[in-house]
Amino acid sequence: MNTLPVTAYHTSAISCLSCHLLCRRGKMVARMPGICPRCGARLHIRKKNSISRTWALILTAMMFYLPANILPITHLSQLGVVQSDTIISGVIYFFETGMWPIALIILIASIFIPLLKLIVLIYLLISVQRRSTWRPRERTRLYRITEVVGRWSMVDIYVVTILVALIKLGAVADIDAGPAALFFSAVVVITMLAAMSFDPRLIWDAQESHDE
Amino acid sequence: MMSEPGSMGPLPDDLPEPVVRSPINKISLVWIIPLLAAIIGGWLAYRSVTEKGPAITIAFESAEGLEAGQTKIKYKEVELGKVVKILLSSDRDHVLVKAELDKQAEGLLSEKTRFWVVRARVGATEVKGLSTLFSGVYIAMDPGPPGPPVDHFKGLNTPPIVTSGIPGRHFILVAERRSSLDIGSPVYYRQIKAGEVVAYDLAPDGQTIRFNIFVRAPYDQNVFENTQFWNVSGFDFSLSARGIQLKTETLSTLLMGGIAFSLPEDSPSGNRAEEETVFTLFENVEASRVKHYAFKTRWLIYFNGSVRGLAPGAPVEFRGIPIGEVVDIKLVFDEETVAFDIPVLIEVEPERVLSGQSLTGIEDLKPIMDQLVANGLRARLETGNLLTGQKLIEFDIHPDAPPDNIVWEDPYPRLPTLPGRVEAITSQIVGIINKLERLPIEQIAADLQATVQNTKKLSGSPALPRALDQLNDVLDNLQRFVDSLTSDVTPEILKTLQQVQNSLTSARSILDSDADLQFTIKTAMDEVTKSARSLRVLTEYLEHHPEAFIFGKGEK
Repeated sequence: MNTLPVTAYHTSAISCLSCHLLCRRGKMVARMPGICPRCGARLHIRKKNSISRTWALILTAMMFYLPANILPITHLSQLGVVQSDTIISGVIYFFETGMWPIALIILIASIFIPLLKLIVLIYLLISVQRRSTWRPRERTRLYRITEVVGRWSMVDIYVVTILVALIKLGAVADIDAGPAALFFSAVVVITMLAAMSFDPRLIWDAQESHDE
Repeated sequence: MMSEPGSMGPLPDDLPEPVVRSPINKISLVWIIPLLAAIIGGWLAYRSVTEKGPAITIAFESAEGLEAGQTKIKYKEVELGKVVKILLSSDRDHVLVKAELDKQAEGLLSEKTRFWVVRARVGATEVKGLSTLFSGVYIAMDPGPPGPPVDHFKGLNTPPIVTSGIPGRHFILVAERRSSLDIGSPVYYRQIKAGEVVAYDLAPDGQTIRFNIFVRAPYDQNVFENTQFWNVSGFDFSLSARGIQLKTETLSTLLMGGIAFSLPEDSPSGNRAEEETVFTLFENVEASRVKHYAFKTRWLIYFNGSVRGLAPGAPVEFRGIPIGEVVDIKLVFDEETVAFDIPVLIEVEPERVLSGQSLTGIEDLKPIMDQLVANGLRARLETGNLLTGQKLIEFDIHPDAPPDNIVWEDPYPRLPTLPGRVEAITSQIVGIINKLERLPIEQIAADLQATVQNTKKLSGSPALPRALDQLNDVLDNLQRFVDSLTSDVTPEILKTLQQVQNSLTSARSILDSDADLQFTIKTAMDEVTKSARSLRVLTEYLEHHPEAFIFGKGEK
């Protein structure tokens, strides 16, 4: 890039992340955050503590990811036979019974996406901290995909909640949510929060400082 | 307190810049979140480690109905663990079920702990485990007495009848046959169900069956060292010299078999039997009473006639009271005498008669038996049951029997016999019939008939009255003749007789053995005999050699 792009940061201005109003930074300091005069959203030069927050949330999500996959997510009791399924055993069950599209959806939504989100966020954080200038565009796109796709991991939780609500036939058949459901939804929510707390503008900051 | 943007005019140039602190240097409160997560995770991990009970391996014959991750292990219907893995043993003989138990099961495992699979079972007398039809099978556990922990177990094929914690005692019964007894067959004491058969197995020598029975408290207090156990299985149908017998204990023993026990009658109870005491299981109540007499003597009896109807087990009685039984009957061919012998081996329990004496061997009985046989003790074959023809051996004292004695020989002494009562009568009747058969009855009848006919002819002829008249005349004449004889002839006869006597006296003096005349006559007669013999020799010689008449007797 030959010409230096004009950013709000360099022109002592600040842009609102909600309504994208560009306003003067003025007397705003880190301790006294300003509020967007148009929409009332809080204004940040860069998201506050973005990297450390994201790291903290990612670590939390990683910790919850283990019990979410090890512990059973559903307890199905059918005529007294209690069958406890983890996410993986459910996927295997669907594969074995020939319902591989459902199996694929659960596999992707519940196992791959949270895992990929964690990996992507960790990569982005490391690349930002190392002030990498490598392909900032693609990395930004990666971030956007991560943010958009993250909510779909909740599909599994929705399925479980619907099943728990629907199948209440007493001794004949009953489904209960297992402890993994709680951990799994925690993983999904925390990774979403992590993605939100990450500030993609940091990707480009490195670019600018490098170009200077 | 912000004013309108731009209202204050452009910024003066000499305004200081705020110090911007790097946010990374500050430890944010956000780190509390991963800390909390770590605490939660750590607590979960700690709990799973500390609550994890022992991992055990149970070997089963088959894994029917068992599922890894599904099948539970229960004790008193409380879930204590779960099957984790099912695999074949290395020798492929059985399946190894690996299970993880809860922490609370830790103290329950010992060498005596038993595991078995609870399935729906329909037995002859009960239906069990129906709930498993819906819930699937599970592995039940009986902890048994506490002991050092082990982690390898052998699963039972069938549920144990008695689980630990039920008061009572185990005993071992030894029998020759299993009969219809099975695991779970009831044990009765005075027709009250007091326990069950827990297990049965072939004894190590392969000759007997060992039943393990469990007698519940308080009935186990009635098992003494001299208690007798007998089989009450099914119904007992026996056809013996005593007639037909049909017996059953209860209806369920018809299907399941059963065992009863009690003290032998009139015998005092001994010490209480210890756990695992070994008893003999008798085939029936009679057998249990019979075998009460430990001391037995064996004797041989030889019968001449047929022993049809006598079988091993037939009773041996003394005046109708059983004293033993027949052990063996043989047919022996003696090549020397070319005759058949039927030795019958009997077993007699002398203690039935000679109670209160300590007998050790058959020798102790020798003086008594010799005396008894001298007094007329004899064995005989008797018919016990006229309907079936079963025979038995009866002993009795026959003082008028021909003298006989015991042959004390190896291996068994031989007792004298008498022909049986029926046998004796039969043989006499046969003798009479044989004699009758030998009479020429037809000849006699024919003669008799001819005589009768002649008589008839005679009596019918007109000559008879005339003959009778003549006979009358003749008799008259005879009467007269006899009268004259008496008066005239008798004195003459007397005189003659006197003379005859005289002549005989003189004749005797001549003919006496030491008289001269007789000697002379004897020598003369000898001479005559000799001459006659030489004459015969001469004539014979001449007959063969007529030429000797001319040439004389040759040199040779």
